[in-house]
Amino acid sequence: MPDPSAWSQDAHRFLDGEGPPPADPVERDRAALFEQAVRDWTHGLPSLDERIDAGVMAALRGRALLRADTWWRWLLEPRRVALRPALALAASMVLVALSSAVTVVLRDRPAVAPGAGTSGPVMTGTVLVRFELVAPLAHRVTLAGSFNAWSDSTISFARSSTTGAWTVTVPLPPGEHQYLFVIDGERWVPDPAAHAQVQDEFGQTNSVLVVGPRGVVRS
Amino acid sequence: MGAGRTVDDGTIVRRVLHGDVEAFGELVLRYREAFGRYAVAFCGDADVAADAMQEACIRAFDALATCQHPDRFGAWFFRILRNQCHNHRTRQRAHIPLDTVTAAAPERTEARVERRDLRDQVERALRHLTVEQREAFVLRDVEGHSYAEMAELLGEREDRLRMRVHRARDAMRRELDGVHA
Repeated sequence: MPDPSAWSQDAHRFLDGEGPPPADPVERDRAALFEQAVRDWTHGLPSLDERIDAGVMAALRGRALLRADTWWRWLLEPRRVALRPALALAASMVLVALSSAVTVVLRDRPAVAPGAGTSGPVMTGTVLVRFELVAPLAHRVTLAGSFNAWSDSTISFARSSTTGAWTVTVPLPPGEHQYLFVIDGERWVPDPAAHAQVQDEFGQTNSVLVVGPRGVVRS
Repeated sequence: MGAGRTVDDGTIVRRVLHGDVEAFGELVLRYREAFGRYAVAFCGDADVAADAMQEACIRAFDALATCQHPDRFGAWFFRILRNQCHNHRTRQRAHIPLDTVTAAAPERTEARVERRDLRDQVERALRHLTVEQREAFVLRDVEGHSYAEMAELLGEREDRLRMRVHRARDAMRRELDGVHA
């Protein structure tokens, strides 16, 4: 039993643009009137002022674009690789060589010790974590977190002259860490790429990073 | 959303991520134009929609590194905008005076319905839809998106969206009948 207060299936098909007008003349007229009314209402809608664009861009010029750890996230991302059998052996050797190279780099590279901001030996049981941040207009960027007693002056990012990105590599012990980026010593901003944000007791939103014994588990 | 463009969204996103902040302006322009009417229709107020759009643009910029498929920036941005529209509309609705959402005055209901009146009635009927119904109706009957496009934007199955649009239309019909009766 069709619901007299609802549109017929023919009317819905017509309003969806998938069928002719309903055969029933009353339903056809109602559907046509409804369609016209919606079209009129739509045409009467104001468009968004184009000055919004300038307002948004003015706001963005004073902001930093955050991009932490995208390079190793790419490395960790699962991806499917199709290889011809003849190339499989050679490819596997190349992959082994590459992974070794990364390991060697991580082991030999001087690490930034928390609290120092320069270089020092990698502490036993720590994992090197690289933070990267694109902040073209920033003059100074530092990293503050639970791992350096929230100091805004001990871990400084270095700016790449080629890409403009700010980077720093920090040895962190396994566990959960909270952190913020500090831009020009004034703006403390969370990392929008982090897997989780938490509120601290002061109402500040902090980003969360989880480090496992063999690498970053979640960022 | 891609016709006539010399630079695709993915290229622009990558430029911005490499520090070209100004390139983001092209995305703001594109998607203010593409989704502006949706925002106005959904929020029911141009000023509220403008606030939602600005907030969405800034949030998209801040989170751009998390856009996993830069070539599908539009769908990703739409979801941010949609959340902002929901938030701003909720705040706005708390301040709408009751008399602006009541039905037409009884003495007008017997009169011949002019197109302008009917347009106003459509606006009123829309306010009585659920958030999900209003969104589906706006995307399908106002914006003219196909069900496939809606599925891409909303991450829902087409048959569910079709059902939602039909229920929205039925609800509007009942509201309009209430006004006309």
